[in-house]
Amino acid sequence: MDSAFIPEGVKRCPFSQFLAGLGVVGVVLAWGIYAMLLCWLKGLNQTNMNDSYGFALWIWADLAIIALGGGAFFSGFLKYIVGKDELKNIINFAVLIGFICYSSALLILAIDIGQPLRGWFIFWHANVHSMLTEVAFCLSCYFGVLTIEYIPLILENRKIDKIPFFHNLSHNMHEIMAVFASTGAFLSCFHQGSLGGVAGVLFGRPFAYREGLLVWPWTFFLFTWSAAAYGPCFTIFLTRLLEKITGKKLVKDNVIDLLAKISGWMIFTYIIAKIIDTWYWAAVTVHSKGQTLMDFYDDNMFYGLWILVAEIVVGGIFPALILLTKKGRNSEALLWTAVILACLGVCINRWVMVLQVMAAPVLPFEDWALYYPSWQEVATTILPVAYGIILVMISYRYLPIFPQEKELNPIESY
Amino acid sequence: MTQEYRKEKKYGMVIDLDKCTGCGACMVACMAENNVPFRDNETDKLKSITWMRVYQLNNGKSYPNEEICYLPRPCMHCEGHNGHSPCVTVCPAIATDYDRETGIVSQIITRCFGCRYCMGACPYHARYFNWWDPVWPDGMEKSLSPNVSPRMRGVVEKCTFCFHRYQLAYEKAASEGRRELRENEYQPSCTQACPAGAITFGDLINKNQAVYKMKKDPRAFRLLERLGTNPKIYYLSSREWVRRAGDNYHPDEETGIVKNHR
Amino acid sequence: MKIDRRCFLSLGIGATAGTALSPLPWKLMDDISIWSQNWPWTPVPPDGEISYTDSTCTLCPGGCGITVRKIDNRVVKIEGRKNHPVNNGGICVLGLSGPQLLYGPTRVQSPMKNVNGTFQKITWNQALSEITEKLLTIRAEGRSHTVAGIAGSSRGTVPALLQRFLTAYGSPNFYCQSSIEDSFSLSHIQPQNNKTIPGFDLENADYVLSFGTGIMDGWGSPLRMIQAGNAWKTGKTKLIQVEPRLSDTAAKSDEWLPSKPGTEAILALGIAHVILLESLYDQTAINYHSEGFSTWRTAVLAHYHPDKVAEITGIDSRTIITVGREFGHAERPVAIFGRGKGNTPLSLTEMSAVHALNVLVGNVNKTGGVFTLPEPNYISWPEISLDTKAETGLQTKQIAEGGLLHRLPSAIKEAEDSVTLLFVADANPCYTLTDTKEVIRAFKKIPFKVSFSSYMDETATLSDLILPNHSYLERYEDVPVTSGLRNPLIGFTKPIVNPLFQTKHTGDVIISIARAMKGSIGSSFPWENYLQCLKNGLGQHWNPLINNDVVEIKYVPEFEDIPRFAFQIPNDKPQVLLEGNENNMNLTLIPSDSLRLSSGYIGAPPFMMKTLPDTILTDNNTIIQIHPKTAEKLGLRQGCYAILKTPKDEKKVKIHLSQGIGEDIISFPRGLGHTAYDRYLAGKGINFNELIGPVEDTFSGLDVAWGIRASLIKA
Repeated sequence: MDSAFIPEGVKRCPFSQFLAGLGVVGVVLAWGIYAMLLCWLKGLNQTNMNDSYGFALWIWADLAIIALGGGAFFSGFLKYIVGKDELKNIINFAVLIGFICYSSALLILAIDIGQPLRGWFIFWHANVHSMLTEVAFCLSCYFGVLTIEYIPLILENRKIDKIPFFHNLSHNMHEIMAVFASTGAFLSCFHQGSLGGVAGVLFGRPFAYREGLLVWPWTFFLFTWSAAAYGPCFTIFLTRLLEKITGKKLVKDNVIDLLAKISGWMIFTYIIAKIIDTWYWAAVTVHSKGQTLMDFYDDNMFYGLWILVAEIVVGGIFPALILLTKKGRNSEALLWTAVILACLGVCINRWVMVLQVMAAPVLPFEDWALYYPSWQEVATTILPVAYGIILVMISYRYLPIFPQEKELNPIESY
Repeated sequence: MTQEYRKEKKYGMVIDLDKCTGCGACMVACMAENNVPFRDNETDKLKSITWMRVYQLNNGKSYPNEEICYLPRPCMHCEGHNGHSPCVTVCPAIATDYDRETGIVSQIITRCFGCRYCMGACPYHARYFNWWDPVWPDGMEKSLSPNVSPRMRGVVEKCTFCFHRYQLAYEKAASEGRRELRENEYQPSCTQACPAGAITFGDLINKNQAVYKMKKDPRAFRLLERLGTNPKIYYLSSREWVRRAGDNYHPDEETGIVKNHR
Repeated sequence: MKIDRRCFLSLGIGATAGTALSPLPWKLMDDISIWSQNWPWTPVPPDGEISYTDSTCTLCPGGCGITVRKIDNRVVKIEGRKNHPVNNGGICVLGLSGPQLLYGPTRVQSPMKNVNGTFQKITWNQALSEITEKLLTIRAEGRSHTVAGIAGSSRGTVPALLQRFLTAYGSPNFYCQSSIEDSFSLSHIQPQNNKTIPGFDLENADYVLSFGTGIMDGWGSPLRMIQAGNAWKTGKTKLIQVEPRLSDTAAKSDEWLPSKPGTEAILALGIAHVILLESLYDQTAINYHSEGFSTWRTAVLAHYHPDKVAEITGIDSRTIITVGREFGHAERPVAIFGRGKGNTPLSLTEMSAVHALNVLVGNVNKTGGVFTLPEPNYISWPEISLDTKAETGLQTKQIAEGGLLHRLPSAIKEAEDSVTLLFVADANPCYTLTDTKEVIRAFKKIPFKVSFSSYMDETATLSDLILPNHSYLERYEDVPVTSGLRNPLIGFTKPIVNPLFQTKHTGDVIISIARAMKGSIGSSFPWENYLQCLKNGLGQHWNPLINNDVVEIKYVPEFEDIPRFAFQIPNDKPQVLLEGNENNMNLTLIPSDSLRLSSGYIGAPPFMMKTLPDTILTDNNTIIQIHPKTAEKLGLRQGCYAILKTPKDEKKVKIHLSQGIGEDIISFPRGLGHTAYDRYLAGKGINFNELIGPVEDTFSGLDVAWGIRASLIKA
């Protein structure tokens, strides 16, 4: 039915099956949209946030998806600036993931603010000292870049490409893509960093506060680094997942291997930095405020040392070691384990840097404040996932996302 | 123009916890003065707007040696280092600002778009978010003061040291041809209401005002001084455990070792 | 069509610039900005001229001076009046919430008639003629004594008018709630048939021994007490608090003596023992001020040795001896009485035991001590005229024996038609009386109930007719204040704003009913209206009150006027026993009073509810405080629910563990559990009064219940 739109030389499932799939995910999407509308119309009382939890699930989701979407900027950086040309075979997908992640992040931010109609004040009345201003600017700009990177991909659709205007547009855009990709990499570096800075500059919150370099706290660098390190794992994870779902090989092993190896090294170096940071924070920063490490992992019902171990050892050291070894990368099971653990690891890091910051008491006469999200928060957080799935489904079906697909899956002529 | 002649001030409070009885008058005086909204269930204290909140502290000992102490907590109007209060620096839209003329941390509610970053930044929980639209039962909106705009849903609010009172007092002084306010001309609502006279308000850097002397009392301490927030609320307590509860200490440290920015 | 790079770029830039230069985005942004800052449903309070008017707060017996801030004709804030003899600029949470009462949804906006359970608006003419007719019929039937009245206080022109009306009408049934002042008066032998009220010169005391008195929790005139407490801090006056729980007063005291509940009298006698044994008493003063000392002395010395007292009270004997000595040696020591807010009377034994300490050390009618003041009878009205019907009616016995309000419900229960018509003014007996369920049951049996309440309180809700009074910010009225002040005061309220609704001054209503009834009743009310009656009654005080809103009644006692304290020989058990069986109810339930919770006839307004800590109320659950060991024994945890059972009722409560209370004691916040008023108050928590019942003092008959036996079972 829609065969005219499907890229040449690849096989796609029947349209009805595709529609059914869309329908299922669409229900989840509708649920999310309903929750989103509730939040907009009735206000943030729909959430379980409170005056102790100004930041909660949504900000975590924001930080987490942007970290995971970091694959886009880092592969872009590797391809266009470092010159790892093999990555061109996965860069489209990385861009798509990035686009989904960043548009989701913007959407969540739009739900998260109390007065969405005034959201533009962040640009209009910008406070240059605020990390959030930096986030907003870089996030929006980089989203623009990702859009520009994604548009040529859309234009490559078989039907659209036949229109000369779009064909030429696409061609022109491809030519200047390196400029955008490098701009994007730069912007992304900054806003990943400024997202880290969001927590790191809170000198009223010893759990989050980090000393640093000039105006940037250490978390600024750690966040950029970790996004670059863990983002590719997410790209690999999704590629592998898509391959499982479609039952096709979409990207050649050498590409994945290269990305995995780079990611491994990045995680490894990052985790060393993170350990040093944690140690310095506990031994020097926190100590000077009259507190100790255990003040933040004790005396409450949820946050124990386990979370530190889960983040650093299980979600950091383990995947790094797996990805660093050839055997690890070549074993399907180990690679899966590594990328999943890595994704979890970075998510835990972002969780801790948002939620645990809010939970831990600062005034000695206050108690821990624990929180669980309301269904509206959960639904609006799942909303981008559903939206992402739909976008991937459509993009995969109609756009040549994986340049190697045709070669890896030749259609038998009959 | 007149602003150029005005001397820099650092308005602040000294709250004598030995005198405070925890009666809560400061809380209500603040609500009534500043049109703070209320809801039918205000028992979730994490969603209840109280610019001034009275905490109850205890010494952690068991019966019958337990002692309790009340601690009223307005906004600390932190000066931080050179005006860099924890909340002011993080606000992305300059909706909260450190006024160098008065030392008051302002909150522009029509500018705030409700990102709540400032709430995360404030270790004193002095900032409150309007989770709901404020609703006054029919007729009760008559009791609202025109000096303070009622806030809308979705913005952050907090103690302003009754800044409108400063403005009114200043206008009055100006009309009488004075550039400087007298000590008692500008007093926040809580200070005025406190039946125990536990709150003293004034210019912390003016040698002739009571707060200047009181902040040097050996009983004086501030909350979380070690964080470098440099708050403008001083507390007085003759009880060591109360002073120690004002900050985090390692077991071997003496209470009050950090007294920055005096 | 060929599009090259230049074309592409210029197209993009052109489009962007074009849109940006058009007014569209800017106009939209501007609109959004304005709209999102002024939402139509967020009120914008109109500006206007600021004015300040002084008046007196009537929301509790404290009698504070207030300064009301208005914008044009709107009350926007109530502040404490500077230089007022009671509160000198300070103000409490209730006083501050006054505008919420004035403008709140609880106001009764016009006369209302209860028709089959729903209230209908009626006109004042309808209301007054209905009530007048009813009264005339009852009187014609010769049953004038079945008309009764309950007032919030026995003082002031409005309660006096009600009492005067009942008298002229022919009913002796005027009641008001008993208080600690009754206990004090009864412990004295009066030279004349007058009441003796205590005045405390606390500001000048140098050693204060408080027997459960909520000095910082609302006793007496609450703000004056807080300020006195402050004076003690600076003047190095020592405050010793005897109380089973760590109240805010205990927290502020120099020493907290956590006595077992109900043993205050015994502790006082133990302290007296020390004073007697060490001859620290003032014999001359004792002779001058009291009777029956020597026998009392012997009894105390024989039975109240500190060791024995220590065993009963839980306060060790060394502390008792130290306190006794300190009290005896202090220059201006004073012992104060009245548990919590002091709203409930004390047994005569306890009152005597505590006040004996004052008499012993000779600080009666002396600086820093306790003054025996006469009732401030300042109202000067012409003689009342009585016809024969009135005289006959007045001959009948009071329905509640001894004129004790708490006996009224059971009297009604026994003889159904004993009360046919009841007036309630400035009181809310269906909330404030103990064993509230029974009170309500009895109240419902009265054929016709008339409430004068300005607010939809519990009693008004159950009435047949509501004749709403102006609120205190809309009316003239005298506000007599005793409340333990050194000198009684007359405060004065005046209309700050014109009446908002179809309300009428209760004084005016009573006068017009009386005048409509003509005859001797009408002639007993020779005034055109209440204002005239007030002016006439206040006499010499009128001018100072109109000008200054407050007059102090100074009194220098002559020897023959001085009431003499009667030492009560304590029996073996000077404690008031608790209702309930010790075997199945082994816990003791006591109330806890707080300045943040109004337990009187005015319910807490929304602002006050907002100040309640979450250790008193969460959602709609009353939270009780128990010691962790009590909890352990009963298998209860912090925050869990339990069923609290007393001989009167059982309720579901939430548990809070506290180190500020002894084992086997339950502390229960008083002032919650309203069923009437607005959604900010109704249905929140449990009314303590429902859980306890009256316990009569054998000597005085006063309801002296201070607690009750209780059990707790995990829910």
